[in-house]
Amino acid sequence: MDHLGTRKQETKSSGLLAVYSEEDSSVLPEEKYHRLANSTIHDLLEKLEEYGDSVEIDGFDVDYGNEVLTLKLGSLGTYVINKQTPNRQIWMSSPVSGPARFDWDQTAQAWIYRRTKGDLVKVLETELEQLCGKSINLSST
Amino acid sequence: MLRHVTNRILGQGLRLPATPAAVGGSGLPRMYHERVVDHYNHPRNVGSFDKNDEDVGTGLVGAPACGDVMKLQIKVDDETGKIVDACFKTFGCGSAIASSSLATEWVKGKKMEEVLTIKNTEIAKHLSLPPVKLHCSMLAEDAIKAAVKDYEDKHSK
Repeated sequence: MDHLGTRKQETKSSGLLAVYSEEDSSVLPEEKYHRLANSTIHDLLEKLEEYGDSVEIDGFDVDYGNEVLTLKLGSLGTYVINKQTPNRQIWMSSPVSGPARFDWDQTAQAWIYRRTKGDLVKVLETELEQLCGKSINLSST
Repeated sequence: MLRHVTNRILGQGLRLPATPAAVGGSGLPRMYHERVVDHYNHPRNVGSFDKNDEDVGTGLVGAPACGDVMKLQIKVDDETGKIVDACFKTFGCGSAIASSSLATEWVKGKKMEEVLTIKNTEIAKHLSLPPVKLHCSMLAEDAIKAAVKDYEDKHSK
């Protein structure tokens, strides 16, 4: 099997095995991806830290290391949000909805999980309100 | 052979080190549930069927660059629609290996429609996968679906 390279490779079975080309205009260029993903994750980090100060959750902790955002909510569970650069995605693991993979949608200007059409930021807002009993605004101004 | 490959792919991105669970005295946090360790040490149904075989469905999911690739194959009895045999080969972390190994166990003896209802949450729960490894169970669910789809595509022609 090839590693990430400049050829697009198709499979018969799942279509998930693909190698992205920098020249392919339908794929987010890596530099742009990093800018968008980093900005989204850093923004989340800030807002989640503030949220932590305003809610009474035992064991609340937000940690960011090695480009992985870990949000602990004590006994309510743990979120892990990270970049998955080869796929140009942001991956999230949620104690409510399980694993999800978000792609940048240029039209929506948002990270969208294709299977559910869920928006990363909105999913988090909804779930956190549900879990912690207090609403949170994670959308950028 | 399979483990040689996986042992070489260490420490990329999020993956926990591929050594079986640290026990007791080392002071390291518990890393892998004993079921994961069991599948890692005694993987079920490792192998390959001939993908050109009429009664074989092959699901290939993941991407090497991401660090996880699973190939899950099913052998189906055309008359009953039941999966009579399954095998897998996975390139990835212990949780990915365990998830796909477990998947091959769970699909055997079941009808294809039935295995499509196997959810990643069930796999993750059975293996007590930590949050960061839930993606592995999702990939295993995808592999099952891809194998079934491949078989059906072959038979719809």
